[in-house]
Amino acid sequence: MNTSASGPATSAFRQRWTVSDIVVASTLAVASGVIFWGWNLSYHAVSTLFTAYPPAASLVAGMWLFPAVLGAVIIRKPGAAIYCEMVAAAVSALLGSQWGLGVLLSGFVQGLGAELIILAFLYRRFTVDVAILAGASAGLMGGINENFIAAYYQYSAVGTAVHIGGFAVSGAIIAGLLPWLAARGLAATGVLGPLKSRRAHQESALGGRVRGTSPA
Amino acid sequence: MKRTTTPPELSAPTAGGTAGAATAGVRVRAQCFSYQHADRERPALAGLDLELAPGEKVLLAGASGAGKSTLLHALAGVLHHDDAASSGSLLLDGRHPAEARGRAGLMQQDPESQVVLARIGDDVAFSCENLAVPAEEIPQRVKAALTAVGLDHLPLDHPSSQLSGGQKQRLALAGILAMRPGLLLLDEPTANLDPEGTLQVRDAVVAAAAETGATLVVVEHRLETWVEHMDTLLVLEPGGGLRHRVPAWAVNDDAALRQELVEAGLWVPRQRPPGSSSGQFPPLSAPGRTSQAGKIDHSTSVSLTATRSGGQSSAALLTGSGLAVHRKPPRRSWRSGEPAQPTLSGVNISLSPGSALGITGRNGAGKSTLMLTLAGLLAPHGGTLTAGRGLKGEHGAELPDSPFEWRSADLTSRIGTVFQEPEHQFVRNTVADELRLSAEQARVPGTRQPLFSEQEVAQRVAKLLERLRLTHLAQANPFTLSGGEKRRLSVGTALAAGPEVLMLDEPTFGQDAHTFSELISLLREHLDSGGTVLAVTHDADFLEALGAERYDLSAETSAPPGTQQPEQKHPTSTPLLSAVRDTSWLGRRGPLAKLLALLFITFALIATIDPVSAAVVAVACFALLPVANIRLVTFLRRIWIFAAAALMAVWGAAIAAEESGRVLLDLGVTTISTGSLELGLSLGARAFAIVLPSVLIFSTTDPTDLADSLAQQVKLPARFVLGALAAMRLLGLMAEHWTTLGHARRARGLGSRFLSQAFGLLVQAIRMATRLAVTMESRGFGAGPRTWARRASFTRADWLVALAGFLIAATATAAALAAGTWNLVWQS
Repeated sequence: MNTSASGPATSAFRQRWTVSDIVVASTLAVASGVIFWGWNLSYHAVSTLFTAYPPAASLVAGMWLFPAVLGAVIIRKPGAAIYCEMVAAAVSALLGSQWGLGVLLSGFVQGLGAELIILAFLYRRFTVDVAILAGASAGLMGGINENFIAAYYQYSAVGTAVHIGGFAVSGAIIAGLLPWLAARGLAATGVLGPLKSRRAHQESALGGRVRGTSPA
Repeated sequence: MKRTTTPPELSAPTAGGTAGAATAGVRVRAQCFSYQHADRERPALAGLDLELAPGEKVLLAGASGAGKSTLLHALAGVLHHDDAASSGSLLLDGRHPAEARGRAGLMQQDPESQVVLARIGDDVAFSCENLAVPAEEIPQRVKAALTAVGLDHLPLDHPSSQLSGGQKQRLALAGILAMRPGLLLLDEPTANLDPEGTLQVRDAVVAAAAETGATLVVVEHRLETWVEHMDTLLVLEPGGGLRHRVPAWAVNDDAALRQELVEAGLWVPRQRPPGSSSGQFPPLSAPGRTSQAGKIDHSTSVSLTATRSGGQSSAALLTGSGLAVHRKPPRRSWRSGEPAQPTLSGVNISLSPGSALGITGRNGAGKSTLMLTLAGLLAPHGGTLTAGRGLKGEHGAELPDSPFEWRSADLTSRIGTVFQEPEHQFVRNTVADELRLSAEQARVPGTRQPLFSEQEVAQRVAKLLERLRLTHLAQANPFTLSGGEKRRLSVGTALAAGPEVLMLDEPTFGQDAHTFSELISLLREHLDSGGTVLAVTHDADFLEALGAERYDLSAETSAPPGTQQPEQKHPTSTPLLSAVRDTSWLGRRGPLAKLLALLFITFALIATIDPVSAAVVAVACFALLPVANIRLVTFLRRIWIFAAAALMAVWGAAIAAEESGRVLLDLGVTTISTGSLELGLSLGARAFAIVLPSVLIFSTTDPTDLADSLAQQVKLPARFVLGALAAMRLLGLMAEHWTTLGHARRARGLGSRFLSQAFGLLVQAIRMATRLAVTMESRGFGAGPRTWARRASFTRADWLVALAGFLIAATATAAALAAGTWNLVWQS
């Protein structure tokens, strides 16, 4: 009796991005890119708070990482973290960023950090611990990028360690916990109806139900 | 369900390729069709049997929640969510809708989500491209479609963001017609439009249906607009199938049918507007719930207006003289060149206590802007706005004259603002908390003392819940309410703070007759208890029902008639994202070449930390300004902030890098040495140089062209590239939502709340995105291979650009090598 209204409703289809997935992820990413842009402009003021010890400024770096986990926990499909982070970075570059095209590299590396964690849980677990871990991983990769790959900073060994550590902590909270809470809040408003995360607000924080109960 | 094996792209009407031929109408057949959305208790449609003949023109009616939209979406082939349950069959000419891409075109209610691309020509071509119409055939289809909807006087690169709501809907119709569909599906296409726009859209649709012979299905609350042009009226049974199928003219004669439709909340032709005389309200309860027709318990509708000493002086509550208004703040910021020209100026208006005033006028005349200014949410640009003693109230003598200067807590208990989109006002997780918040935020003027005691707050909440008939939904999330419930709650949140004046922006847009009459009775009670109402509206019935005076801006406005859209919407001051192409030499080059050049230069700079290569790049960029036709001043204004960022980089490295060379400054915990300072300067120079070429390039590159190029030449997946491009068009809208969310928070007595505003924006962004996704999918997006109306090519001049980028990168590296400053960052 229960047939899907659409044609291809195989299990493979569930991991394929629907048009809704693409447009919602893109919209989140574009909005995040604008937030990046505004944040980039105010960052020079914010970073003066860390004038005494510049490496610690990475404690606010989570602001550049949140689209990865936000996209991942809302879309719940492979590539969402990398896609959202990269599109957000690209949009901030289009609007003008102090890192020029370098943000594409940063976006990819940071998105990859989050994506790897989500992948490790096979795109089936979107609990608060996974989100925090993914945010921290995005921060770790971001820190490594800024100190070794794109090398925007050349701190002493201690400074580098502090910078990368701060990146990870900031990622865990601003780009892990907050996006997870946001996704739950959004699910409660009902706007996530067409997406896999539409029941996020009913899931327990640390596991239990992985997905909806209805037969697939 | 059995499916045919024809691939969608072959079954599209393009296969024949006969240009200009009329499209045969689609035969629709539903047999025992049922559909239940995931997580819903009841099916939206159950056991629907329906047959529509080719070319039949159908008006689809039913109470709110009767499954009208679900049926349209099913016919458009865009209903396929996980976990939804569906049975029976629904076929277009014997085929499943999802496999008949291009046969059905869907238009939704919100004009903003009906436009996909930034230029109108591209927007119409979008559907053709998705259906893989041969590129050489597309221009002709675009032209024909734009002519059919009366937009052919505009150039093809006209920015779609500058169209009025009615024009956007006609553009959407053009996009649909370009597919040559056999079935036109319209979901409340005119609910958000002014009367003029409504008629234009209706006429365009009727003409298109006649021209093409397409089958037409229209969902609309206000039947009068459509009924004379229709063959058939279908009435859906909530949670069921078809209730009636009658000839459309029956709605004029059949008294029983008319009564039934009125009870379902529809506007039937020649019916006195509901609520126009008290005691004759149609039933207030929603269908399916126990009806208590006409019984408004006046004991619960006690005055919710806070008692004021007032003294019954008839002095005006609010007086504007010579008022000039504009959306943007009047002060000049460092980034905007010119101060904003007022949308309206020389407005003289006064609001007397206990009166109802309607601000009317054509679209874009500045009605909402004027209301927001009167409501103390926008700063006046000129003239004076004075709150009278009656509005300031007993303890309010010390308040400034202009409401804009009041604290939000003083504002909310005096002027309640109801926004066009109720969701903008929602800041709490439950209905009860929304009302409680309003009551709690109100303060005794000038003090931090709450206006209402804890007990009074609880009473007000309980009373309002009952009056709004939301008691059973007290713990529901406000965003999950139905449209009418949201409207009631939005008025309730304004009333809960006990304001003297209630200001409403288009309160009846998209509402059914039930909500209309409830709104009237709520506002009447406010008026009867001595309150004052000001509304911006196109709705003549609404003003009549309130007995409101009119303040017509068409007579008042400073802009000459015929000028379109005085309020230009520019979300950011950057030149990017505008639909008009840059005409400089660099602006006319291909995006791919520019991107390549940028990559070369960026790589050269990232590979090394040295001031010489950075200097070479910076000099080259300044030298190339004429090619991009950017004035030096403009360029400096765009990059100065990045220079500030570069200085921070200098400082950071100077104090936190490894000490080397002579110590210049000992700060105790750390030192600045010659080595660390040198490194800092190199890093700063590099940071500055890296941003210059990208500002130069992206200032002259159009996002649509960039996307075309990325998908066609770099072969990035077209679905994702176009998805991102469509999302970028929402940027301007998101900026508007952001501003309105800020206004709504102030109106509700909250200060600036970044997280709450950000969350509100996320909700609106996702709503827009899901509607846009439906639009895109119903225009064939994502179905299979597509064509491109514009071929991205790599010209000889493009080679020149790429070569120039390479040369700059090579020169920078060579100069650094020659100077001995080049050092590869990846070797430590």
